[in-house]
Amino acid sequence: MLTRITIVGSGPGGYVAAIRAAQRGARVTVVEDAEVGGTCLNWGCIPTKTLIASTDALEMARHAADFGVELYGEVTYNLPKIRERRDKVVSTQIKGIRALFKSWGVDLIPGRGSLISEDVVRAVRKDGTTQDIRSDRIIIATGSRPAAIPGLPFDGNNILSSNDAVLMHEVPASILIVGAGVIGCEFAFLYRSLGSNVTVVEMLPRALASEDEDISSLIEKELKKAKIKLITGARIESMKGTAEGVTAVLSNGQEVQAAKALVSIGRALNTEGLRLEDAGLAAGKRGEVPVNDRMETIVPGIYAIGDVTGIMMLAHVASRQGIVAAENALGGSVRMDYTAVPAGIFTRPEIGSAGLREHQARERGMKISTGTFPYRALGKAHAMGEIAGIVKVIADAGTDRVLGVHICGAHAADLVHEGALAITMGATSKQLGAMIHAHPTLAEGIMEAAEAVHGNAIHLPREGK
Amino acid sequence: MNPDDIKYHREHAWVRVEGKNATIGITDMAQQQLGDIVYVDLPERDTETDADSELCEIESTKATSPVISPVSGRVLEVNEDLGDSPEIINEDPYGNGWIVVITMSDPSEVNDLMTRDEYEKFLKEEEER
Repeated sequence: MLTRITIVGSGPGGYVAAIRAAQRGARVTVVEDAEVGGTCLNWGCIPTKTLIASTDALEMARHAADFGVELYGEVTYNLPKIRERRDKVVSTQIKGIRALFKSWGVDLIPGRGSLISEDVVRAVRKDGTTQDIRSDRIIIATGSRPAAIPGLPFDGNNILSSNDAVLMHEVPASILIVGAGVIGCEFAFLYRSLGSNVTVVEMLPRALASEDEDISSLIEKELKKAKIKLITGARIESMKGTAEGVTAVLSNGQEVQAAKALVSIGRALNTEGLRLEDAGLAAGKRGEVPVNDRMETIVPGIYAIGDVTGIMMLAHVASRQGIVAAENALGGSVRMDYTAVPAGIFTRPEIGSAGLREHQARERGMKISTGTFPYRALGKAHAMGEIAGIVKVIADAGTDRVLGVHICGAHAADLVHEGALAITMGATSKQLGAMIHAHPTLAEGIMEAAEAVHGNAIHLPREGK
Repeated sequence: MNPDDIKYHREHAWVRVEGKNATIGITDMAQQQLGDIVYVDLPERDTETDADSELCEIESTKATSPVISPVSGRVLEVNEDLGDSPEIINEDPYGNGWIVVITMSDPSEVNDLMTRDEYEKFLKEEEER
């Protein structure tokens, strides 16, 4: 008898879980009330990176003369064409997931999923009709949505969510971005490239507060270079729509006026309407579905993965959790390990991080040594005209094992995987520094930063000289 | 040629005093060492600064380097032209490449700074060290 497994949600958690479960021989049904791919593919990772790729091309054209390339006429952009390209990229990926479902025999049922018991998922279609799916195993993968400031709902016109912003209906003359987290900072550089005057307001004392402090201070400087105004340590006291846009009053007394506001203060978890209690489950304080490291909820046979677990809001973490849940649901025994999760932030320049941040290590009372190396000391960075950036390696002061690698600079998100591998394999900073890195590449920066942990970077002047 | 109407700090900054105000920049030696300057992280007006502490940061194609304030005081004016054209410092370090004007809180600190001749002697010693 085939195991019947039903997955609620088809984002990067749900669709990956579906394919893995099918590979393991289960009868798989996915319930999805929007498009396959979830936030990542439809509203997040992919459309934003596609838009950013357009602004990368724009910036390159603007700086063509630096490379001895002459362009004649005005360098400008065509917003409808940028949107068209974004839609094409997204729809290609959607088709890809649908084709994979077909190939692996995964049933996709349109409708909003809810649990009506421990072993029945109900899909409610747009027209109100329902379908109940009897399931041996259930995986909850309903994700998250943009969170609004209490009392200040998104209106899609003046006060935008990241879902509204990614539609890019227009480029406002000015925009106030509330929240200097990943989404806020990515959109800040994006809008700036397209010509908006950007002001970013952050409640915490620094931008990208979840990153290493050295990365935050570098990106704060890059925001300044890009003429993006950053106000930290300030809350929005009030915000109201005006004929010209919005006016916000900050907790420090400052008033900010802008044509639009983008609120990117975090994400709310999608457990409302899921009827968790009917299956014997209860949401946590933030609306999350609590799970253990095998992705099991407290109800046997019911698993949860991705943003809705409230653990780490990253598409690739959701995918790994989906694989772990699918394996365990079908007789396997796999656990999640979050020690070396790499992550990319697509600011200008990019950020890639893996493992512990320096402040985290210190908060845990760990004794560490760090090494940093600037991009501007790399020949390749000069050749590319991308000299802003640093690589930072954090190692245990006793064992020398690499605990964290943090990069801000061109291609950082791609480069950081070497760091994640070093952390996963328990490599020491000496081993990382002794590994031959190809010249000329940006990856040499990782070797040099690893060497710098012991004061041995070749391309740095002697301390104090 | 280093001018003789200004005072020099051992961290390669200079000061031109007019009453209680001091115009600050980096020396020709400093700009040569840095190479092509690509960005000056200008301080905000009204920032308080102490003598011998970091006033702001300069980025060149070679390095990111702090500008050390030779005197204490409050930033009265910043050279906004450096925002779009930081290379002015390379071209004219003692003139249009000035960085800030500070209202000094303790003008006697100027007495601790070097004259041109003392600075040039200091550079020679540094080189031989």
